[in-house]
Amino acid sequence: MNTLVNVARYHLVDRLQYVVLPVGVTFFAFGVNLAIFSLIPETPEENYSGGLFTLFVFMLVCGAMSMTKSLPFGLALGVSRRSYYLGTLLLVIGLSALYAVGIAVFQVIEDATRGWGLGLNYFRVPWLLDGPWYLTLLTSFVFLLLMFVYGMWYGLIYRRASVVGVVLFGAAQVLVLLGAVLLFSWTDSWAKLGEFFSTLTVGGMTGVLALLVCLAGAGGFATMRRVTV
Amino acid sequence: MLDEGTPLFVQIAEQIADDIAEGSLAEGERVPSTNELAAFYRINPATAAKGINVLADDGLLEKRRGIGMFVAAGARQKLLTDRRQRFAEQYLDPMLIEAKRLGIDDETLISLIRGNGHRNGGPAA
Amino acid sequence: MTPTISTTGLTRRYGDHTALGDVSVDIEEGKITGLLGRNGAGKSTFLRIVTAQEFASAGSVRVFGETPVENERVLRRLVLVREDQQFPDFKVRHALSAASWFYPNWDAELAESLLRDFDLPTKRPIKKLSRGMRSALSITIGLAARAELTLLDEPYAGLDAVARQLFYDRLLDDYSAHPRTILLSTHLIDEVADLLEHVVMIDKGRVVLDAPADELRGTAVTVSGPALAVDDFVAGRRVLHRRKIGSRASVTVAEALDPSAKAKAKALHLKLEPLSLQQLMVHTSNGQTAEEASA
Repeated sequence: MNTLVNVARYHLVDRLQYVVLPVGVTFFAFGVNLAIFSLIPETPEENYSGGLFTLFVFMLVCGAMSMTKSLPFGLALGVSRRSYYLGTLLLVIGLSALYAVGIAVFQVIEDATRGWGLGLNYFRVPWLLDGPWYLTLLTSFVFLLLMFVYGMWYGLIYRRASVVGVVLFGAAQVLVLLGAVLLFSWTDSWAKLGEFFSTLTVGGMTGVLALLVCLAGAGGFATMRRVTV
Repeated sequence: MLDEGTPLFVQIAEQIADDIAEGSLAEGERVPSTNELAAFYRINPATAAKGINVLADDGLLEKRRGIGMFVAAGARQKLLTDRRQRFAEQYLDPMLIEAKRLGIDDETLISLIRGNGHRNGGPAA
Repeated sequence: MTPTISTTGLTRRYGDHTALGDVSVDIEEGKITGLLGRNGAGKSTFLRIVTAQEFASAGSVRVFGETPVENERVLRRLVLVREDQQFPDFKVRHALSAASWFYPNWDAELAESLLRDFDLPTKRPIKKLSRGMRSALSITIGLAARAELTLLDEPYAGLDAVARQLFYDRLLDDYSAHPRTILLSTHLIDEVADLLEHVVMIDKGRVVLDAPADELRGTAVTVSGPALAVDDFVAGRRVLHRRKIGSRASVTVAEALDPSAKAKAKALHLKLEPLSLQQLMVHTSNGQTAEEASA
């Protein structure tokens, strides 16, 4: 366990990458949105900003970096691949939780100030982060985690198979989706799928995301086993 | 300063033996430790240790537990006796071979020895 | 005594290219062993497989009696200093802090002292260090880790002669004070020859020499003098190399000469020059090439 904590510490040495930049970028986008909103004369009806996605994309990048830039020295320090992966996961869970709390808190403040006095919905994302604070907390936690772990997998694919590998990885995923589409067409299940999604609550969606986290986690771990530095 | 021909540990042993024979390392004086020798000559400590052991086996050094290696009593005399015995083989024979090659006869050789002997301060004490 | 590292039939292939072919060596505990060879001989591959940073295609590796792959019990007790070590976006002091968390024997004072010796700026990002300074950083980490098994893969890239000597001195110093198993790979053989207790030489992925350093010194001799006398002297001996100029010849034989042979050479007025370890390596790998050429 100590090793895993040390791996998390190891990543956090680069606080810029994992803390300063994500938070900074999020608030920068927030500030820009605020500025724009304070300038426009009227408040539009639907005034959701997609700005928060910057944070989620950033998590994808962080995940990839944790398995590319930081991996060689990490393994050089006598850590097994398993410990490195799990230790990084530990960090990622912690950061996701932290940022999820942040999002939830700011969402509450946003609601209380009726969109920061400008009617801006930055910390509230349509449908996904649109419910009560506890659902927002859970969903953002899982989604952030997913972005991280997905990014880690990409990073590992890059280490093992370089750019070609990453492209093939992306293509493979597209093929899987294509396969699913074909499957649905053949079994004529589009109606059922539509029903599933229309009745899917945010809670349910979160469950699906959690499943994807497990999938990406397992995939990344399997890819990790034969990575060399 | 360490040449390629003789094994390193032999060279180490010879250096210390030279010091003893010359008198710069007195009997009962402490000999540098393995680590000190290693650091000084920039060689592996095991090699230095081997050199010391050669001298110890020859009875020229003695170990005092916990303190180190010391020059044994009578070491200098032993070395000088040993070297005198080898003098003929080491220095005399090559000279005689070379003299023969150059066609220098025995009388000329002896007068050369006498003449150069004066120049080089006479026979050793 | 169990060897610290023991490989059997270790092989690593990259497609068509065999980086290591059937390497079976034992690296003994507590000695400074040199892993010698030309560039591209397979030394780095060997070290990376021993530390599980790379995987073998065939054969086995045992470190401290166990496989090093995914084995933290073993990995914790060793350190590999690589000249091409990739670092994250760290400053020098970050790398040292991180190392101190993972190495049980970490000596912070030694690290400080080495930083001073090598003149390494602690606050500078590693990205901005010159090649020599990066090597110095890796060396600092490697030595301060005081790992039971310390592996150094051509650690002196970019270091000038003065810095290299400093490295050798500090290595020897710390080894004398804290004996451990050291495996040092290099192609600058003459510089480290006297530090080695044992030598393993690799050429084109195969082990060509595996012997105590003392045995190797004086194993080959170059005999020079009048051609006829030289030829007479070397008749029946294993010749590595011949050179001729006018009526003089210079022949390298792969044999240690006993005192009677030396006396004979003296009588014939032949000059004897023992081969240095570096020259020995050159001849050994040339010998391999020659064998292949005639095959």
